[in-house]
Amino acid sequence: MLDESKPTLSDGTRIEDLINTQTREVAMRLLSDHEVYRLEMDRIFAKTWLLLGHETEIPNSGDFVVRDMGEDQVIVSRDRKGDVHVLLNVCPHRGMRVCMAEVGNAPMHRCVYHGWAFRPDGSFIGAPIEREQMHGDVFAKEQLGLKKARVQLYGGLVFATWNIDGPSLEEFLGDSKFYFDLLFCRTDGGLEVLGPPQKFIVPANWKAAAEQSASDGFHTLTLHRSLMETGQYGRATADDIYANAPAMYGVDISCHQGHSLRCIPAEVTFTMFMTMDELKKLSPEQRLEVLPPPGITKEMLPELKRHMSPDGLKLMAKAPPQVGGMFPNVLVLFIYAPRTDGKYSGALALHTYVPRGPDHVEFTNWIFAEKSASPEMKRDMMANAVRQAGTSGTIEQDDSDTWPHMSRNARGAIGRTQTMKYGALLGEKKPADWPGGGYVYDGFTKDDTQWNWWLYYRELMTAKA
Amino acid sequence: MTTATASRGMERIDPLPVTGKRIATGSALYNEVLEFIYDEAALLDEQKFDAWAQILAEDISYTAPLRITRQGADRLNTIVRTTLHFDDDYSSLMGRLQRLGTKSAWAEDPPSRTRRLVTNLRVWETAKPDELEAHSYLLLSRSRYEQSQLQIMSCVRYDLLRRSGPGAFKLARREIILDQSVLGMANLAVFL
Repeated sequence: MLDESKPTLSDGTRIEDLINTQTREVAMRLLSDHEVYRLEMDRIFAKTWLLLGHETEIPNSGDFVVRDMGEDQVIVSRDRKGDVHVLLNVCPHRGMRVCMAEVGNAPMHRCVYHGWAFRPDGSFIGAPIEREQMHGDVFAKEQLGLKKARVQLYGGLVFATWNIDGPSLEEFLGDSKFYFDLLFCRTDGGLEVLGPPQKFIVPANWKAAAEQSASDGFHTLTLHRSLMETGQYGRATADDIYANAPAMYGVDISCHQGHSLRCIPAEVTFTMFMTMDELKKLSPEQRLEVLPPPGITKEMLPELKRHMSPDGLKLMAKAPPQVGGMFPNVLVLFIYAPRTDGKYSGALALHTYVPRGPDHVEFTNWIFAEKSASPEMKRDMMANAVRQAGTSGTIEQDDSDTWPHMSRNARGAIGRTQTMKYGALLGEKKPADWPGGGYVYDGFTKDDTQWNWWLYYRELMTAKA
Repeated sequence: MTTATASRGMERIDPLPVTGKRIATGSALYNEVLEFIYDEAALLDEQKFDAWAQILAEDISYTAPLRITRQGADRLNTIVRTTLHFDDDYSSLMGRLQRLGTKSAWAEDPPSRTRRLVTNLRVWETAKPDELEAHSYLLLSRSRYEQSQLQIMSCVRYDLLRRSGPGAFKLARREIILDQSVLGMANLAVFL
């Protein structure tokens, strides 16, 4: 039997030994083990803050979407006062799923099994045939609402946790919040989703995707090499891609909680900007005008100035955070995404990697724009994001074809004893006048941020229950 | 359908409105379209992408809306055209083909073995004499690596074909209506 008070698997292996802090190795077994997966549901997905969507998905009273916190399905709904609630989609009567749709508007949610009904805030309305009191005489009506998670909105993003008395979202984001603010809270109207998220299943353990989301920059050179071969990234012939190393030099940031972002100047990555030699001569102010951050236009710059410190603005001018992740399962993709016609309006996307058993993950992909963007720009940003990320995206289709192989390898009697190696550390190095906190790594992107992700994973998985 | 729903891009399952005269199944024109559809499926299954590019019109719109599960009065509003799985025009399709031709398009190298089973073809005239509306069902099976279980994708395709010569058409529009709200394939690195 699995002893959950001490994090030890039934064969006697201690979880903490699966992540070797001396040699910085992570056992492949973590990508396939069923006991580990069950522990993750309790210790991570029932404990940390999880991203469930954006409030612009449910603008009106009664609007709802159905999402997942680990394996637990929840209803994300807006009540008449405008507050957002996150409710376990499990009827307290017989355990039936209450809401059967994926999205909609309903003044109440009535279970189709016996008819128990609930308001958008989760409170119990009653069971049919009131005079017979079919909710019984054991529990008062006030006790029979849908189980509610703790909710916090941040830049319109809906986060929830089952850890009712745990750290606030702000505490959970820690030193990385300064950087996330630059992406999510930078205009008067804020972000809006351009539609419901793409969803698809990848036959891989969720951590194969999640550990990459912790700012794995290095894989771009090889796995996404087609970007250089087609002339979108880099300034090199196919033969000297490694020497040229586009997208590798910048400043990676992370923090104790495993979140991370890669702050990369546009001209380090994209061929189109590499050839703009005048960029180097511009002051940050001028640079913002010539090359606004992804998703931002010149016209929106006054808004940016209102929402950011001068230091934050300088960072957005020189090296905006473009990719990264939020522990445990969020990928952030806010990229310039120039097109072959020489234009760029950026692509803004967030993904969650929702566990679907040890061997599958549901890839959820939301596409965003600033509310104040023009309809044409929003249309263009949707197309940019769909062409590069998510289901058919020419970048991410290579990722989703890679992770399943890692998972498969982790199932073998020998394969599961092999390790993933995080031996290449850059070490903390903060550029002079760097505006933000956290762990800062200036230079060639290495394993630091991903290793921090695993250290936080290890901390949660081995914490005293 | 309420205005709020429509403005958020959730639309009815009904096919694109067809106003023209139905082209009789088995007629000479119908058979011409059927041959085009069969030949196109073969080009993609045989990965003859240069030849496939030749049958795409330069003003092509190639899209795949999301599908979504809804209940009650809105239950048939399951097509979402705000977010798409494919959102391509001619130049972006050429970009996809260019990538497939590189040395590092790993999602399809090694390539999938695919079979496009096209059925239920229905053809209509349109307001333009040189254009036909052709709707077909597609069942795509995809085999990758050593996996013995086929990946399956089912959809209906709303095509607009434009006459480009005797016995020849170009694909001027393809809208792919998938049947899954959560796709069972890890990517759409293949065309539908």
